[in-house]
Amino acid sequence: MNPHAKLITTASLILGTTITITSNHWAMAWTGLEINTIAIIPMISKSHHPRAIEATIKYFLVQAAASASILFSSLINAWSTGQWDITQLTNPTSCLLLTAAIAMKLGLVPFHFWFPEVLQGSSLTTALLLSTAMKFPPITILLLTSNSLNPPLLTLMAVASAALGGWTGLNQTQLRKILAFSSISHLGWMTVIIIYAPKLTLLTFLLYTLLTSAIFLSLNTSHTTKLSTLMTSWTKTPMLNATLMLILLSLAGLPPFIGFLPKWLIIQELTKQEMTSTALTLALLSLLSLFFYLRLAYSSSITLPPNSTNQTKHWYTNKNANPLIAILTSLSILLLPLSPLILPTI
Amino acid sequence: MALTTVLLKSVSLRGRCFRHDFLHPLIGPLLNDSMSKLYSSYRRPGSQPEKKPAWKSVDLSFKKSFDVLKTQLSLLKKESKEHLIGPGGQPWDEFLLEQTKVVWEFRSQEDLNKWVISSDAEIGGKSEVYLKLGRNDQAALLYGTLNTEVPRDGETKYSGYCGMRAKPLVGSFARRKYYDWSNFNSLYLRVRGDGRPWMVNIYTDPYFSHQKDDLYNYFMFTRGGPYWEEIKIPFSKFFLSSRGRVQDNQHPLWLDKASFLWASAICTLGFTIGDKVDGPFQLEIDFIGLLNDRAHTEEFAYELYEMNPKV
Repeated sequence: MNPHAKLITTASLILGTTITITSNHWAMAWTGLEINTIAIIPMISKSHHPRAIEATIKYFLVQAAASASILFSSLINAWSTGQWDITQLTNPTSCLLLTAAIAMKLGLVPFHFWFPEVLQGSSLTTALLLSTAMKFPPITILLLTSNSLNPPLLTLMAVASAALGGWTGLNQTQLRKILAFSSISHLGWMTVIIIYAPKLTLLTFLLYTLLTSAIFLSLNTSHTTKLSTLMTSWTKTPMLNATLMLILLSLAGLPPFIGFLPKWLIIQELTKQEMTSTALTLALLSLLSLFFYLRLAYSSSITLPPNSTNQTKHWYTNKNANPLIAILTSLSILLLPLSPLILPTI
Repeated sequence: MALTTVLLKSVSLRGRCFRHDFLHPLIGPLLNDSMSKLYSSYRRPGSQPEKKPAWKSVDLSFKKSFDVLKTQLSLLKKESKEHLIGPGGQPWDEFLLEQTKVVWEFRSQEDLNKWVISSDAEIGGKSEVYLKLGRNDQAALLYGTLNTEVPRDGETKYSGYCGMRAKPLVGSFARRKYYDWSNFNSLYLRVRGDGRPWMVNIYTDPYFSHQKDDLYNYFMFTRGGPYWEEIKIPFSKFFLSSRGRVQDNQHPLWLDKASFLWASAICTLGFTIGDKVDGPFQLEIDFIGLLNDRAHTEEFAYELYEMNPKV
């Protein structure tokens, strides 16, 4: 991309995120969200392939509609209470509409249909930005308004997200779509606990960002976008392949890795809140996503020669590995023993 | 005698014109609802005259709707079961390791029913095309006569085409389903032609309606011999055209994603003959399949440079 354009879009993304997370007035929160939406559009449609353009249009329509709904909910609240403070959202209609609007922004079920297709149409780095950086402002708004959200709707959407994220992700062969569904199910986990312990949501989000960034950057290094290409990635980057398997298992929430921490704490918190059936449902539904993570790990690392593959092996890659991968991978695999440091703060 | 016929003809013409003046512009569309009436009252010679308005063909019987609901629900149940087995209904190891796949083969009348034939008779031309099962039900025979005589309607300049096109896949509740050909990189056709060149078209149902005429085309040159030919056409060779005009901004054909969540994956395949030569044509097709040709490493056969770079 033209360096000018790249500078402007990156700066706008940083600006939009900063405006939203530091705002107290609804108008500023909305402004930041809109700036983010507009700034990421040239990044998604960078390659002028019709698929990328389609992803751009879908993203823009959904995000614009969601931002407008957020503004509308704050407007209803301002009309009834006379103030625009984000933390003082009291009108029940406002709360309901805000919950739905943030769900649309994040990609929670039933507003998740745009997410896999947008991720599929964009490049791996843009997909990384879409799943991590673009989720940060809406999560911040959720954190700020956590006591004004509508609990039954939120719990329903969270459990449905964990369910559909797992179920529809089962048959995917395109890696970006698989990661989209993993994002949807993780968002379900994040939003189920936000009313009771918002700090856990933030912890889950940060750990999810860490793991997803590690995965996207590793996939970017080995140019893989399909499951069948992943099967031969061990020839290009064997070490990266091995660490990718460990990161995937961490994302699935398996114990020796950090991905287990948020799941454990959320189940503990839900049990404290007398929501054991919800906790059980969520835990069982995460088995579905565990299945497809294991499948990714299986096809990339666990099956090694002499299996037969049907993909032409790429013998070289001209992409240097991002040094950040090393840091993110180490953190995502080894951070769990440090959890006693995190637990007292929650 | 001749005078009477001429007078009669002119009367009927005038009558039609009067009706046209009377009905146009507002009441016409309401009385017989066809899209063409909104723009012109001319009906192309090849198209059928509209006799029944669309609202009359709606069937409001309760029993029939119940049967339809039962069929759709059973299709939905089948789809959910297939979802559990793996992508496209195949188990995972089969999907990941397959290198060839037969998508369409012609062994019975129901295989033929998956295809639609068309020719320029729909715009008023004189070509004819027929599709039937070949000898011993081992192949499909697409045959007919190409006639390049231009229909005299004042706006058509060229004519003479025949083709057949696969019907798109339909899932439960009339949802569109798409093919996932991401494991393959070539089309594999076993055909026996008569030496005439054919054009293979792939239609990817696009998201935007202004791309609805987009087709990816490539040519298939057949030998006339008595022997069957196996033609491999890599997908990297397909070029983009819209309404028959090759586009400047080319991009490779994306083969991925058959799931119903994607709206721009491969929808149908078709064959067209339009080589401006009058006369009979014949094409026997045994099967149409896909191949993952490992020796083919080309990503796209055409240059992707920017046509009009901004200075």
